[in-house]
Amino acid sequence: MLTALPDSKWNDATAAHLLNRAAFGGTPDEIERTRQKGLTAAVRDFVDVKADAANVAPPAWAHPRNIRAQRMEIKAAKDRGENFQSKVREVRMMEGDEMIDLRRWWLDRMLNGPAPLLEKMTLFWHGHFATSIQKVRDAYWMWLQNDTLRRNALGNFGALAKKMSRDPAMMIYLDLQQSRQEHPNENWARELMELFTVGIGNYSEQDIRESARAFTGYRIDFTTQQFHFAPFQQDHQSKAFMGRNGNLNGDEIIDMLVSNPACAQFIGRKLWRFFVEDEPSSTVIDSVAGTVRKHNFEMRPVLHEIFSSGEFYSDRAMGSQIKSPVQYIVQTSKLLNAAAPPPLAAQNAMRQMGQILFAPPNVKGWDGGKQWISTSTLLFRYNFANYLINGDAILPPNLRQPRQGADVGFGRAAQYAEQIKRDPIDVGKLVPADLRAKSHEVVDLLAKRFFQTRPAQKEIDAFAQFLESRGPEITDANLRELIHLMMSTPQFQLA
Amino acid sequence: MLGAAASWTLPVFLEKTFFALDALAAEAATQAVTGKDGTILVVLQMAGGNDGLNMVVPYADDAYHVARPRLRLAPDQVLKINNYIALNPKLAGMKSLYDEGHLAIVQGVGYPNPNRSHFRSTEIWQTASDAARTLNEGWLGRYFDNCCSGADPTVGVAIGEETPQAFAAKNPTGVTFSRPEQFRFRPSEPNNGQMSAEEILFRQLNEGGGSDESGTAATNAGGSIGEIPGKARNDLSTLDFLQRTALDAQLSSDKILAIARKYKSTVPYPQGQLAASLNIISRMIAGGLPTRVYYASHGGFDTHAGQINTHERLMGEFNDAVRAFVADLKQQGNFDRVVLMTFSEFGRRVQENANGGTDHGAAAPMFVLGGAVKAGLFGKYPSLTELDRGDLKFNTDFRSVYGTVLDRWLKAPSQTVLGRKFPALGIV
Repeated sequence: MLTALPDSKWNDATAAHLLNRAAFGGTPDEIERTRQKGLTAAVRDFVDVKADAANVAPPAWAHPRNIRAQRMEIKAAKDRGENFQSKVREVRMMEGDEMIDLRRWWLDRMLNGPAPLLEKMTLFWHGHFATSIQKVRDAYWMWLQNDTLRRNALGNFGALAKKMSRDPAMMIYLDLQQSRQEHPNENWARELMELFTVGIGNYSEQDIRESARAFTGYRIDFTTQQFHFAPFQQDHQSKAFMGRNGNLNGDEIIDMLVSNPACAQFIGRKLWRFFVEDEPSSTVIDSVAGTVRKHNFEMRPVLHEIFSSGEFYSDRAMGSQIKSPVQYIVQTSKLLNAAAPPPLAAQNAMRQMGQILFAPPNVKGWDGGKQWISTSTLLFRYNFANYLINGDAILPPNLRQPRQGADVGFGRAAQYAEQIKRDPIDVGKLVPADLRAKSHEVVDLLAKRFFQTRPAQKEIDAFAQFLESRGPEITDANLRELIHLMMSTPQFQLA
Repeated sequence: MLGAAASWTLPVFLEKTFFALDALAAEAATQAVTGKDGTILVVLQMAGGNDGLNMVVPYADDAYHVARPRLRLAPDQVLKINNYIALNPKLAGMKSLYDEGHLAIVQGVGYPNPNRSHFRSTEIWQTASDAARTLNEGWLGRYFDNCCSGADPTVGVAIGEETPQAFAAKNPTGVTFSRPEQFRFRPSEPNNGQMSAEEILFRQLNEGGGSDESGTAATNAGGSIGEIPGKARNDLSTLDFLQRTALDAQLSSDKILAIARKYKSTVPYPQGQLAASLNIISRMIAGGLPTRVYYASHGGFDTHAGQINTHERLMGEFNDAVRAFVADLKQQGNFDRVVLMTFSEFGRRVQENANGGTDHGAAAPMFVLGGAVKAGLFGKYPSLTELDRGDLKFNTDFRSVYGTVLDRWLKAPSQTVLGRKFPALGIV
């Protein structure tokens, strides 16, 4: 059993921790407000979001548009020996633009939406039921999956798994849509067990073969772009699955898997690693698995219990998580009191930091933890912070004002420069004018905003002396330099 | 100026950290090289699916000419290897290397149940997995994990914007950059040759162990991950891990920039991205960066339409860039230390399509070249008539090539890295 956090331990640090993990971090004001609410109310406000919070207006382009007709048009041009490549390019361009917009749309939900935990759980499920645009190749389907994940993010896990078995993006990603009675495709069946429910070692190859037969008949209508069930494609013969025989269907397979004791362990461990710590003890995983079972895989009460537990606020958990690239982008925008970076810059940054939304590296999703950090990604984070703070002015001049003739890619470079324009942040929003002359107070104020735990006195002094060395008049640029230095530290990567 | 509390002065800092680096090189326990003697692998990715049939041309096979009415290369154009196959006319430099005894051509390379998706097949090549399995770590990442733990982070260097999946490792190792000047901390104020107060403070903050009250900066400053015997990254606390990575980034960045400034090639390189990448690599080799594996990429091979001009240009770029690279290495006296290996996610369909292009295929040749390479033809040219869904059937598993390079060139146990033993080839 997880133990409840005593009220006496509820303070600024624990409130900040809750904001970091259940949401995407908080400003000093938000931390203060959260602390004042008290633990119970703070957790409840995150977890008990209204049902209509998942009713998020889709991006304007996100509607079915008859993939079949599109493909037939391309194929016809190809068969006629015409140049179909321009059409293919057109479709690809559209797909690329839509994906940039879809990523912008989701980052905006995370940064400005009313239900940050809902977005965080949607992100968790996106990594769990990992699906990539690289294979799905249709932004509408990626949006549709995201919408389904959001609507079920805080609900029942088994129900969500069933929805995923009928999700077009997932069906394409794991070839379920190609599975036929005569040739059941085992890809979905294998990953369902290995990565989505019980984990490796808890099923046999026979279980995979038999359950693959149970998922036959799942199809996509390419005209409406929705799931449909084709009974004539379904295998109605008896299947022998995990000790049970009968004409099992896909939903029954999922029910059996969810009731397998290994599933609560698997999901509990994954939740704990995402929200709390990289290397949990087996004791704590047993406790979380018990919680998952007790609440019949209903995520809302499970999360309520996790966020109220002493284990969640343990010393080893607090401030020990490396911000994922997505969290880095959202939290940094929040802390800088600035808008999210321009969509193209955000996408490029996700790529270079190793987490592109809607394009996980493979069906296992993102490993996270120390995997986020290499010498290259760390330096990138430091330099990206510079851009976020000082705007595109810090970029090399050839990128900001490309000269014609300097580069074959002039047209693209000019367009790119336009799309990554960003103003320096308004430091007046972070540091009151009357405080500027007081270097130690400025440093204290900013350190409180940017760091989990107060830096060592030696560093505080070094920051203050740095600021003094810029004087006597402290300019906006000096403060931005200081903030950039604070963000260019190992400590800032932690949440 | 910074006051007494921040009293690490720059020269002392540099002395300390570079000393640490030398100590590391001296104590190299595993695969770390001093930068002057070890063997080096350069992996060159031809992204998009290179048309192997028009790279290594079965010019004497009627089936080739029948299947490729528009794309075929005529027997009088090609650079003949024997009475059956020849090289693309643009590959004159490769032909010379072959004749000199430095180019191995491995024919009919692929894997069972070939996947024709760029995304998936690239992943298979990058992770050296079976077609039905998904692996997280790349094959080079597993080499770093298993054979290079404790090595300098520059043991793997990828030239490009994004770290290739082949480098993905349990303990992220290796550095990635397009231009050396990018792989550094960029201060808010552009520096004018002198190190600004901002940059000095940045270095202090990232020296490692900076916020650790119990350990002084002096004892921790040399604490590059590579320097702690027997301590893998996974054993470190998250903050320790971050601090040491930050220090490693500093050291690598300094070293790479210093080499980039000091070593320029005297051999002329052609224009183009691949040539620029290989030029950076040759300068890093000349400067003695302790790197075992370099990675470069050449894009644009997905020639579904109007292939003839595009592929000719790509072959020309490849040939000219590699020829300059080889000349450069020879001039440095490093040609015998370097093996360059090409790969592409798949070859292309035997039958050309209606748009003067080719669609995604399967088996294709790989080039392995270097001073120590044994020239010749390996594997056998796949039949152009006995096809698998219109594609060439492979006869040499790509992991045989990887395995040979690992065992015989990098002196690393291929079974550990690849999960099992693949038949070796006599290429090195």
